[in-house]
Amino acid sequence: MQATANVQTGPVSMAETKPKGRFNSDLTQVWIGVALIAITGFGPVIAGNSYWIHTFQLVNIYIAAAIFQNMLFVDAGQKSFGQGAILGLAAYVAAILFGLHGWSFAAAAMGGIVAAMLGGLLFALPALRVQGFHLGFVTMSAAIVFPQLLVTLDKWTNGINGISVTVPALTNPIVGSMSLLAIAVAVFPMIALFVHYGIRRSKLGRMMFVAALSPEAARSLGIKPGVMRFTAFIVASIGTGICGILYLPTVAFVSPQGFNIELSFVFFFAVVVGGRGQMLGPIIGIWIVYILPNILLAGFVEYRLLMYGCLTLVAVMAFPDGIVGSVERLRAKRKQTGGGEQAFRIDGFLADLQAGKTVREPSEEIAVEVRNGTKKFGEVVAVSAVDLKVRKGEVHGLIGANGSGKTSLLNVLSGLSRLNTGSFMINGVDATNMAADRIANMSLGRTFQAPRIFSQMSLWDNLKIGIDARVGPASADMTALAKAMEKSFGQDSATLLSHGQRRLVEVMRTVLKEATIVLFDEPAAGLSQSERTNFANLVKFLSRQMGKTVILVEHDLDLVWGIADTITVLEQGRVVSSGKPDVVAKDPAVQHMFVGSRHA
Amino acid sequence: MLSEILIIVIRGIAIGSIFATIAMSFNIVHGATNIFNFAQGNMFILGGFAAYFLANQVGLGQWSLMLLLTGLGIAAVVAVQGYITLLPLRSSVEQDSWLISTVSVSVIVAALLMITQGPFAYSVQSVVPSFRIFGTRTPGAYALAIAAMIFWFFALRYFLRRTFIGLAISALSQDFDAARAAGLPVRRLQLISFAISGLMVGTVGFLVAPVISVSPDAGLKYVLNGFVAAVVGGIGSNAGTLIGGPLVGVVAMLTAYKVGGAYQDLASLLVLVLILMFRPQGLFGRVGARRV
Repeated sequence: MQATANVQTGPVSMAETKPKGRFNSDLTQVWIGVALIAITGFGPVIAGNSYWIHTFQLVNIYIAAAIFQNMLFVDAGQKSFGQGAILGLAAYVAAILFGLHGWSFAAAAMGGIVAAMLGGLLFALPALRVQGFHLGFVTMSAAIVFPQLLVTLDKWTNGINGISVTVPALTNPIVGSMSLLAIAVAVFPMIALFVHYGIRRSKLGRMMFVAALSPEAARSLGIKPGVMRFTAFIVASIGTGICGILYLPTVAFVSPQGFNIELSFVFFFAVVVGGRGQMLGPIIGIWIVYILPNILLAGFVEYRLLMYGCLTLVAVMAFPDGIVGSVERLRAKRKQTGGGEQAFRIDGFLADLQAGKTVREPSEEIAVEVRNGTKKFGEVVAVSAVDLKVRKGEVHGLIGANGSGKTSLLNVLSGLSRLNTGSFMINGVDATNMAADRIANMSLGRTFQAPRIFSQMSLWDNLKIGIDARVGPASADMTALAKAMEKSFGQDSATLLSHGQRRLVEVMRTVLKEATIVLFDEPAAGLSQSERTNFANLVKFLSRQMGKTVILVEHDLDLVWGIADTITVLEQGRVVSSGKPDVVAKDPAVQHMFVGSRHA
Repeated sequence: MLSEILIIVIRGIAIGSIFATIAMSFNIVHGATNIFNFAQGNMFILGGFAAYFLANQVGLGQWSLMLLLTGLGIAAVVAVQGYITLLPLRSSVEQDSWLISTVSVSVIVAALLMITQGPFAYSVQSVVPSFRIFGTRTPGAYALAIAAMIFWFFALRYFLRRTFIGLAISALSQDFDAARAAGLPVRRLQLISFAISGLMVGTVGFLVAPVISVSPDAGLKYVLNGFVAAVVGGIGSNAGTLIGGPLVGVVAMLTAYKVGGAYQDLASLLVLVLILMFRPQGLFGRVGARRV
């Protein structure tokens, strides 16, 4: 607890001279968005023009649908060309139940939303197996097939004639000239905006984002990417389904032509033109992609598809971040200043954490054990009949030339690839066939040779995903560390960090995850001399004072010999030597490694 | 009854060979660039329109000349499209802009056709006479479709294995970074692969115009079925498309015969989803050939 008090003062030394600008303008954009939606939502009603009222109600519904498309596309990385079909499915099912079968509107609406969810599930199923353009083609063909089915299944859908409905309870004025529907249509896009913002700021949102950007990093943090995609599709379908429900009384008519692929393209293109991932993007996008051709240039309505296509192509070519994204980039660039070595240091935090901690020696218990493990890639044997024992709390150095199987072994231990033969145990539990996320949840953490640092997230959020992945309650030390780091890095960008600093960020992510076994894959590559010293201190601290087991793959032999308790040398997938550093150093089998090193 | 099924199967194989050629045209671009050109179906339909405007009811001589010109013209169009698509990829780390730009080009081409030609299906006279098979008159273009598939399969095989440029494109698809490091002119090779894909779909669209619906909105149907054929065969495997294409074609024809023509696209979608769920590498693809 003493340490806690100290940590508060620690980062002051980190030279916080001027107040930092926000990392992103999400919240500002949300409020501007609410204001813009209020204009299109309430403006026409106040003006009292029934043509504008009707037109802008549709605009607002499409804005909401585009907001959910934005979340699905960017936050969850799912490229769906079929959101128009989801909207149409909800509208149609509600129209059939309400208009043809006499259900109450509320019950029919529920039916419509459930149908939209089922449609979303259909999209999510292939998304469990494939990504990217595969999913694009699947959702696009669904969007093509959907109106065809509406025509063909005319026994239930009325076919090409469509279904007309009137819902007086919703469309009659209740407050002044405002109907319940008008209020709902004005408010729902605002709700959608807050839902998107809320998800992005939440643990779920960060996990979704990591799963979209780097599935293997996600799995090593205990996240199941499939579950994340599934969740994203369900949330987006419910939101888009509600848009479909609002569409029904607004237009008072559904027909197959209303939900052809053009509608799906409008949502997708609006997100791209407005600015992928920007809170305001879908709103500005719908204004440009939909309002411009359909309302302002209504005389040329047959050119609208051409305009959608050209606007989007121009956007991708000239300003790939979209309109809002380009503005945001200018803003971010202005505030962005490189911090050099100061941008991410850990010594301040470390000194505070170390204060008043007792030093413990590694125990004799075994944390990780590999028995006769072999991993092949086709004909190449990457790991060959390896036996390895790592004691609890020790620093275990894994060295060897490039291609000797070090990273392959780490990948096996973290569950990202499977042994062909042999087995391995983590804390006495057989983990040979466990998925990466399960192993991660057994309190194992790892870093990657190419650090998985996400420039779209703030520096602090990059660290925070470690906390999100923690199993069990937080320790007082780490809570304090987290607080201090949030204060230092809360609005910082990770873009300008050096390669070495990125590695350190990833290391600190596993520390915040409170993993008891940590695997570091070449953590010191690209670190400066002082950063190396700090890193060595950190590893010693993790092992001796936090009691963590550290497996360290590293080429800097001086560093390894300085901190490792045990060293295992791999050559062409085999263990050629293993033991205490001084013993391994004298082993004739590994002498050739030491050319030019002071251990020779 | 049996002969009916046989006729359907033969027509399915013929239609499927169109899908197979489109799938091969996907493969060559995907191999060189990792890009899937969503506009490929519309480029194919452009070939059909060219047949309508340039070679309807003409003699064999003019028809052959126009076939060649159409192929070259569409190759040029697709090369320009490829240039545009590759432009933003030069600088940006973010690599999915091609998805958006090829979809928007697809929309633009369809919209232009719609504006200039109207939403009609144009019928093109066949220059090749129909022939009788199992007692039924079969349009000559069906035979052309199969012949085109076989021709393009062997032409690509020769090109990719025996010519310098083809070998260089193969090198790109195997290891992009190594190929670049070896000093290959990557952009030029990628543009050539785009042009070849245009040549392929342009000529096939021209050849099969008499048996397809030459209409502005038909492109999407062919891009999707071509993609399903590529996935069934295994993406990157041209030999796979020889099975994948006809398989998708036969499924579509049988669906039309047994259930109804309106369900053809649904059947293709189901085939696609099933393959992706249970064998995402396709029938002949390698597992994990390229890490994402």
